[in-house]
Amino acid sequence: MLLNRKSYLYQMIKSELTWIVGDDYVQSDDAEKLGHSIDYYWVPEVWHDRGQKLTGPDFIVHPKTAEEVSKILQVANTHKIPVTPWGGGAGSQGGALPIYGGIALDTKRMNKVLNIDPISMTVTAETGIIAQHLEWEVNKAGFSTMHFPASIACSTLGGFIAHRGTGVLSTKYGKIEDMITSMEVVTPTGDIINTLPVPRHASGPDLAQLFLGSEGTLGVVTKATMKIHPIPESRKFHAFLFSNMHDGLEAGAKIMTSRLNPSVIRLYDNPETAKLIKRVLGIDRVGSYLVFGFDGPEEVVDIQLEKACEICSEHGIEDLGTESGQVWWDNRYKFYYPPYMFQLPQAFGTLDTVADFSHIEAVYHAMHDAVKEQYPKAAYIGHFSHWYDWGCMLYARFIIEQPPQDPEEAVALYNRIWDAAIRAAISNGGVINEHHGVGLKLGRMMRDLYGPAFKVLEGIKKTLDPNNIMNPGKLGFSGY
Amino acid sequence: MNMDKHLKVIDACRFCFMCRHLAPLALVTGKETDTPRGRALIADQIRMNKENLKNQDYVQALYQADLSGACRTHCVSSYDEVGLVLELRKDIVDAGVQPQAVKDFAQQFINPSFTITGEGDVLYFNHPCIKVHAPEMKAAFDKLAPKHKTIEGNDCGTALQILGYQKQADEAAEKFVKAVKESGCKTLVVPQPAAFHFIKSKNLLPDVKVLNTAEFLLTLDIPKKSGTLWPIDSDFLKNYQKNNAPRELLEKLGYKLKEFGITHEESYTCGEGSMTMVFLYPENVSKLVERVREFAERYEAGTLVVASPYTKLALRTYAPELDVISVEEAAAR
Ligand SMILES: Cc1cc2nc3c(=O)[nH]c(=O)nc-3n(C[C@H](O)[C@H](O)[C@H](O)COP(=O)(O)OP(=O)(O)OC[C@H]3O[C@@H](n4cnc5c(N)ncnc54)[C@H](O)[C@@H]3O)c2cc1C
Ligand code: SF4
Repeated sequence: MLLNRKSYLYQMIKSELTWIVGDDYVQSDDAEKLGHSIDYYWVPEVWHDRGQKLTGPDFIVHPKTAEEVSKILQVANTHKIPVTPWGGGAGSQGGALPIYGGIALDTKRMNKVLNIDPISMTVTAETGIIAQHLEWEVNKAGFSTMHFPASIACSTLGGFIAHRGTGVLSTKYGKIEDMITSMEVVTPTGDIINTLPVPRHASGPDLAQLFLGSEGTLGVVTKATMKIHPIPESRKFHAFLFSNMHDGLEAGAKIMTSRLNPSVIRLYDNPETAKLIKRVLGIDRVGSYLVFGFDGPEEVVDIQLEKACEICSEHGIEDLGTESGQVWWDNRYKFYYPPYMFQLPQAFGTLDTVADFSHIEAVYHAMHDAVKEQYPKAAYIGHFSHWYDWGCMLYARFIIEQPPQDPEEAVALYNRIWDAAIRAAISNGGVINEHHGVGLKLGRMMRDLYGPAFKVLEGIKKTLDPNNIMNPGKLGFSGY
Repeated sequence: MNMDKHLKVIDACRFCFMCRHLAPLALVTGKETDTPRGRALIADQIRMNKENLKNQDYVQALYQADLSGACRTHCVSSYDEVGLVLELRKDIVDAGVQPQAVKDFAQQFINPSFTITGEGDVLYFNHPCIKVHAPEMKAAFDKLAPKHKTIEGNDCGTALQILGYQKQADEAAEKFVKAVKESGCKTLVVPQPAAFHFIKSKNLLPDVKVLNTAEFLLTLDIPKKSGTLWPIDSDFLKNYQKNNAPRELLEKLGYKLKEFGITHEESYTCGEGSMTMVFLYPENVSKLVERVREFAERYEAGTLVVASPYTKLALRTYAPELDVISVEEAAAR
């Protein structure tokens, strides 16, 4: 909290914000502050759980238009108070936490679908729309966004843009940065700008790619146009059990380098197969569970599926069939609901990273060793879920059943594990993160990752945000 | 404390975002407080420190809850966040810290009396929500089933229960049960879905066949209709009772039903689950109605058909231009 709630300055700023958005849409009550002081990052969860005082915003403001966002940012510049965009608050990196108080700019009232263009196959929407609502509206017009993250029900389009998020079918349809064709952004000083209308051009550097992944530090994305797709005639899955993860990785890589076009490949290591595939899907087997899927015209799907099955058969596998693959698809979100998802008192973190096929297995083992070195009793499980022509993403997790009761000790241990694991990933050819972003959680490692190039990012931040009002202390940028 | 029955719900919901897309009020206010996660966080604060029960920001948030049950229906483990809020309200009332508006509003339901009129084997509950706000629903029922007795006078304890007045709700229910028994009828038709759920879930009348209006009308021989309707399901029937009778009836009558809005999962009742929002928090209802109006316009919906007098009242008040009829009116057309 920056300001004393009883001070007249507090009331002055509140009045200014109220003039912009109206009485109903500026809050400063304890209930709403509580909701905006915990996102999906484990640290505020444990902080709350152990009765510690949380840092919340001074005001929660819900603008309806880009113009209102612009005016809010102007007020924030005048009074030099921080602004933290908040979409669904379901980010896992602490990105939406208003750690210095100030304004939590909640985007969820900007939730309209503005246009569906069936000729270019694009949809334009305001970015506070929840991804599931966007998908439903697009479905009504006979299309799909093909953006199916596990958090489709809770996160906003703007949140995914801000974190370079991804969905289950990314292997064919891409991450959000591949899906977006253009955006409207309100810059930190309140200018409303548009990126170029199309994503492929030779008209200078790509501004859209600058704002994609900027995590609210360079402005507020208020509108976006993204690709939409026909609902496929056929969608089929197939699952196999490999005796070990290495063989599964080889098979997955071969499917990709053979330039088949799966919509999804997901390979679970042996510990995750034993833990989660058993608990959620009821498949109780020793080995590495691999599932893939194809979609499109039926004959194309069938041929590709057959080829991918042939590739898997080159290894010692148990063929679990199409039914087991379909069960996985039908339950793909179930993994993330309580009680299937990890939860307190457990300490857990998703160490997601990405590397090319030559390095990804080494990254997996290096992270494993780093976690075990820091805390031998921690469980380490992982799956490989977003595949590219050249490599794939590792969704590794560490889980500690009984972290220290003292919240400071618990957070210190948690941070130690993260530091060690991410440094291990970087030194073996991985990166800080693949789709959850950096936020507060991993900001301290941005300099390690970028080296001298981080200065370029800092320069851009300074130019766009001279008063450092936009989400300070995130993405490795300086605090307030 | 009453809330202790639901500590598992607090543990599950306090850090879970997975049903926020179906939290009706949150969709129009944008507030985190109006989601199961937001309310579970408040409950957790109260669990950790009972003094927090007196925090009026928290109390207001708990009374504003829409209680649609859509989130519980969606939840893969059906965590009962609605139940948690209802228990918390009892704790609030026990502590005497409920908002003044709630205190004032509850008065009208305390110590009710009931009268019975008419002739027949079937007893129709002319709930105050129908009698005062939607008499056309009773008129339509009368047209279809003229021979029945009517019980009226007040609510049967539903509103008191929802507002956290457990003892007074039980007393009201007892009087209602006595009156029904005295009527001698073995079939009770309850056209108010909240009251229907209240009577059924408490099994107040084990020896009486308790039916909602649609269930009763399904037993009659009603002439066929034609035309297209856009149903808005009742929270109490769909999410609480898993009862699909209104749609079954409309389909049996020959109506073509079109899905309203963007998904069958969302509640479009404008706060019916709360039973009282339209009286206590009308500004929230007007926002909920705005969403319905937008969808009606965008997807060119024609006649909306509702199972609840509450929803009819909300829509009539804030979107009088919409064409809204009840299930019984559709049947009597
Ligand atoms: C159960 C669960 C499963 C998940 N699964 C996935 C998954 O499959 N794929 C995936 O990618 N992620 C997943 N996530 C993480 C989360 O959904 C993503 O990080 C998502 O991008 C966050 O969006 P949000 O709207 O919740 O953003 P928030 O958490 O509110 O914000 C995230 C960041 O974006 C900024 N921001 C938000 N909106 C804007 C805007 N309009 N303009 C500028 N900045 C903005 C915030 O300031 C913050 O820095 C999951 C999370 C949960 C809880
Ligand atoms: S009801 Fe279920 S889905 Fe909703 S917040 Fe609670 S646990 Fe999550």
